[in-house]
Amino acid sequence: MPDDKSISQLITKSLRLELTEAEQKKIDQNLESNQEAAKFAELSKLIQDSIIKPADASPDESLSDDAKERFKLSVSQAIEEKLSLSHAGLLNVVNKSQRPVSTDGPSDDQDRELISKFKLIRKLGQGGLGNIWLARDQKLNRNVAIKELRDEALESEKSWVRFHREAEITGHLEHPNVVSLYQYGVDRKTGEPFYAMRFVGKRTLADAIEEHHDKVEAGEADPLALHRLLSIFLDICQAIAYAHSRGVIHRDLKPENVALDNFGQVIVLDWGLAKVLEDSELATKMGHVETITDSTLSQTMHGDVVGTPLFMSPEQAAGQLDLVDERTDIYGLGAILFSILTGEAPHLQSAASSAPDVESVLKAISESEPPTASQSTKHRVPTELERISIKAMARKRHMRFGSVQKLANAVESWVAGQSGKQAAYDSLRMEGRELRADLQASVFNVERNVRFSSTLPPIEALIDAGTEDDVLVWRERLSTIFHGLLQANPNYRGIAFCAIEQEATHYREIVRVERHSSDASTIRNVPKSRLNTDRIHESIASVVDKKPGEVHTSLACDTICSAENNNATVGLLASVPVYDPKTEEVFGFVVIRCDIDQMLREQMTRQTTASELLIVCDEFKTLMHRHGNQIVTASLNQHLETVASYFLPAADQLQTKTDYIDEANADVYGARLCFTPGKIGLIYLLKRKPNS
Amino acid sequence: MADTNPHPLNPESWVDEYGDFLFRYANSRLRNTNAAEEAVQETFLAGVRYSDQYSGAGSERGWLMGILKRKIIDYVRAQNKHNRVSSYEDEHDPSTQMFDAMGNWKPGAINWTPAPGEAIELAELRAIVRGCLDTLPKGQADVFVLSVMEELSSEEICDELKISPSNMWVRIHRARLGLAKCVGSKWNVESETKHHA
Repeated sequence: MPDDKSISQLITKSLRLELTEAEQKKIDQNLESNQEAAKFAELSKLIQDSIIKPADASPDESLSDDAKERFKLSVSQAIEEKLSLSHAGLLNVVNKSQRPVSTDGPSDDQDRELISKFKLIRKLGQGGLGNIWLARDQKLNRNVAIKELRDEALESEKSWVRFHREAEITGHLEHPNVVSLYQYGVDRKTGEPFYAMRFVGKRTLADAIEEHHDKVEAGEADPLALHRLLSIFLDICQAIAYAHSRGVIHRDLKPENVALDNFGQVIVLDWGLAKVLEDSELATKMGHVETITDSTLSQTMHGDVVGTPLFMSPEQAAGQLDLVDERTDIYGLGAILFSILTGEAPHLQSAASSAPDVESVLKAISESEPPTASQSTKHRVPTELERISIKAMARKRHMRFGSVQKLANAVESWVAGQSGKQAAYDSLRMEGRELRADLQASVFNVERNVRFSSTLPPIEALIDAGTEDDVLVWRERLSTIFHGLLQANPNYRGIAFCAIEQEATHYREIVRVERHSSDASTIRNVPKSRLNTDRIHESIASVVDKKPGEVHTSLACDTICSAENNNATVGLLASVPVYDPKTEEVFGFVVIRCDIDQMLREQMTRQTTASELLIVCDEFKTLMHRHGNQIVTASLNQHLETVASYFLPAADQLQTKTDYIDEANADVYGARLCFTPGKIGLIYLLKRKPNS
Repeated sequence: MADTNPHPLNPESWVDEYGDFLFRYANSRLRNTNAAEEAVQETFLAGVRYSDQYSGAGSERGWLMGILKRKIIDYVRAQNKHNRVSSYEDEHDPSTQMFDAMGNWKPGAINWTPAPGEAIELAELRAIVRGCLDTLPKGQADVFVLSVMEELSSEEICDELKISPSNMWVRIHRARLGLAKCVGSKWNVESETKHHA
């Protein structure tokens, strides 16, 4: 007996008229002999016939009005949603899945859908296209930045397209220095698109640049600040080089579009004007949005440049958008570098000097040569960096750096060279200070000795001496002490005790001990008959004005320089007034004349990192000059200007400052030594070796 | 949508134009007004969503019908999935009532005496069949609908419902037997009532 399964199959075949003749015959016979089976067969056929006819045959059934209303509402919502997606280019994203309509069943295992919720906290800013909000991701409890289309932009289909494009490009760029995009979506209530990205904070490179230049202006520049800004600049270069490798040109580089977080992260924002190069990998991925051509964008761009043409490349300003390529971003980077160096936007002056309308500004930008940093600021700009920024901003594109990497390398090697340079400069400064400190110590020593000499008992006795014999005795004793002092200090040329004459116009030597001019080992007491009486000149007058114990020190290069052998002998005079204890009036003074010439000479021959060392006195007259390892005698007594004019700015500044530090190029160091407060005594000038 | 597809559709008018037709179709298959409404609504929404895939080759109605058929299968499948555990077939095997122990038809197993020469009104019959389908166990009715009404191949049905071919054929057979018994008796009752009237 056939089982249910085969009977069932047979019936189905029969009803579908798929039986063979033999099968049909057999069944017919069977049905003839079995009334119940025949009835079943007949009825089955009737049933089948009744139900496979079109459904229209039962017109009494229809959707309730309620259901129809509901359907209409949901259909029109679906249409709106669909429109917003297609505006945003998402239409094709759906298409990409290539799923035929007929498989739109319950989602299969390859799909995951989610609904996100963000709560807007406060508005952070406004761009050309949209508003940026600080928002809270309700699911992950973290802050994010949300960008949404501005109300005005919602009206324009192009804005929708650009907005989605911006999100898509940003989403495709995965780099630590490119803002991370978390999610793109359409708000369920309004149907308006938005995207969520990493919240970096409000501080931008523009703020950092302004801060730095405000400090420079106030004279509080941090020597490391420029290096920090350059390190940020190099990070931007990395982001842009990466984008270029993916075929994306940013086209809107400016300090405002670089966000800085508190932990040194540098994030390039705002890829709204980015261009995707046609033959790039990304262009293939984003094929469906390439209907948005450059011409579509250029129309919108013109609206956007209104606020910010100040960093724009000439080809963009001229509207030659077909010329826009990687080199446009190199220009933008050059403009950022310019801004770091000067604190100003490169086209600020072009914009200020042209008519105030956008067209004129753009025209001026497209026609003018790139600005030079040093013209835009009164502060010194490192020459090499200025050169780099000029090259990056060359008006002719082929004159710019060939790639972002090359530009970055140039800046990087400056920074690297700079740190080597900085180290060399630091040793130069140390050497300069050491030279000054050494001399200073010697000067203190002389001053101490002259002060000591003025308090010797024989001096008081000589003031008091009533008889010639007394004078003779006490002169003898004072001479002996002076003699010892000279013996102990080989640099001392002579020491004298002098009295001021009654009329205060002359002074008279009472005791003088001096070293032989050609034989330094011979020290002699000058006999009374050879003692001088001379007019009180300026420097003696200064001594006489001093209070007890106050030393007057001055350089005596003028008087002591001996012309015949052209060998400068630089002397130092340290004098201290001597008061009459009875009258409490100035009686005279003690003076030590010291040859610092020897000491300076010794300083000149020390091991040094400087390529050039110069010692000048208050009138910028050269006292000592060493170039390389040579002492240059021809420079002696010459004015600084004729000897080494590049030291002049330093020497000028040292009129008021004790140190000159070359912030811009770390090339020259100057140190001033004063004998009288506020008056230049000696100046040490050092120049760094060029390759150190 | 017109801007992306050269063969424009008019989703705004779908509910009015095809709502009833699609609903009737869905209801005849699903035998459940709510399920039918849901299938129709989903058909419209999917139609909007995938409107750009409409090639323009067939009529709008035909295209929507294609989507609806799929929705019906999806619904049946989902239902079947939920009810898979129950094994009502054995309890609702009409064979025991219609066949003797030897497997032969019992006399009068099918109460069916069509009046000779009387035309059978299909619309009337359909209503009866619909009623009888509701009395069938769901597992049988579904397979019957997919096989007979939707004319799916046995492989497709087995695939969609994840059942074995044997199971499917047995279900169909039992559905046929059950329907024949039910329809036969109801028809006779109704035509007798008619006669009396």
